[in-house]
Amino acid sequence: MKTFEEKWTAWLDGQLSGRELVEFESSLPDLAAAEAEKRDAQKLGTFLKKELGARALTNEEFFSHQLRERIMRETEDRPPPRSTWWTVPRLVWSGATALALFLVTTFVLMTQHNPGEQSEYLTQILNSKVDPAANPNATVSIFEIKNDNKVTVLWTEGLQSLPSDYAAK
Amino acid sequence: MPHRTLLIAVVVMLAAVALSANAAHAVWSGLVIAENVPQPAQIPAELTKFEQTLKDLFGYNQFELIGQSNKTLRTGEEDWLAVSKYFSLHVDAHGENEAGYTLNLTLYKEKEILLETDANLSRSSPLVIKGPQVGSGQLLLVLVVNDDQIHRRRHAEPSNPITAGWYRLRRVIHRILP
Repeated sequence: MKTFEEKWTAWLDGQLSGRELVEFESSLPDLAAAEAEKRDAQKLGTFLKKELGARALTNEEFFSHQLRERIMRETEDRPPPRSTWWTVPRLVWSGATALALFLVTTFVLMTQHNPGEQSEYLTQILNSKVDPAANPNATVSIFEIKNDNKVTVLWTEGLQSLPSDYAAK
Repeated sequence: MPHRTLLIAVVVMLAAVALSANAAHAVWSGLVIAENVPQPAQIPAELTKFEQTLKDLFGYNQFELIGQSNKTLRTGEEDWLAVSKYFSLHVDAHGENEAGYTLNLTLYKEKEILLETDANLSRSSPLVIKGPQVGSGQLLLVLVVNDDQIHRRRHAEPSNPITAGWYRLRRVIHRILP
């Protein structure tokens, strides 16, 4: 069921016909005034079609060329994006590596002996010899004193005794 | 460019650390005459720590220094002499190891070699060598690794975890980059 406005618009555009046209025109209170309004509307439509129609370009090539030039200029003027080594994945990996190094270093340092702490190593005698010609009966033995000082002793016996003069500074 | 600067800074820092770590120890070598006397003199300061051990071991009451040397080791390849009038102890260092220093020791009586030995001298374990009988006493050779003076002064200051950690890091780097 069309509303009055829809029928009115269709009547102005000349879209009503037959029985529908007769019924609509008979429903109008003042057909003459409506006819005058219809004519005015048609005139206005004709005028608008004439004035607002699409204007054809006469220099399409030149216009396109200008447009392309301008786009290229703006593209060149824009500073190129700066490349950097610090991409996000590398940042993540660097952070993880630094953290791992820190943890390993901390662990190693924590497990070290304190600077003032004595190490467990004792002095070792690798080899020793006494001149057999001058000291034919000389013997050498090695032992360790297991007290706080951890002294390692190279004990010789049978070396030739010397006079007290040899104690001079 | 920033990477190159960083690399140079790291290399310079490691070199400084390695150099300073190298200067950490000194080997004290002493020629000592031990004997029993009625009025024993005070034991030399370098032997104070071992006084009782030496007395128990050799049975003498006096220990007199007749020659000594205190050599700071920077490369671990140095050699030096501790001399008295008739004796000399030549010490030839052949590098540092985890325990201390590898040393070749030669005891001379004037120009005659009395004793020759190779030893790994530990930083925490002194070496005492019993030499020949001299008059009524005994010649002893004593070798001890000490922290050098600069190192000792640093450690004399109250330590904190950062300082201690820094010294540990230096030692670790020193071991990696001898």
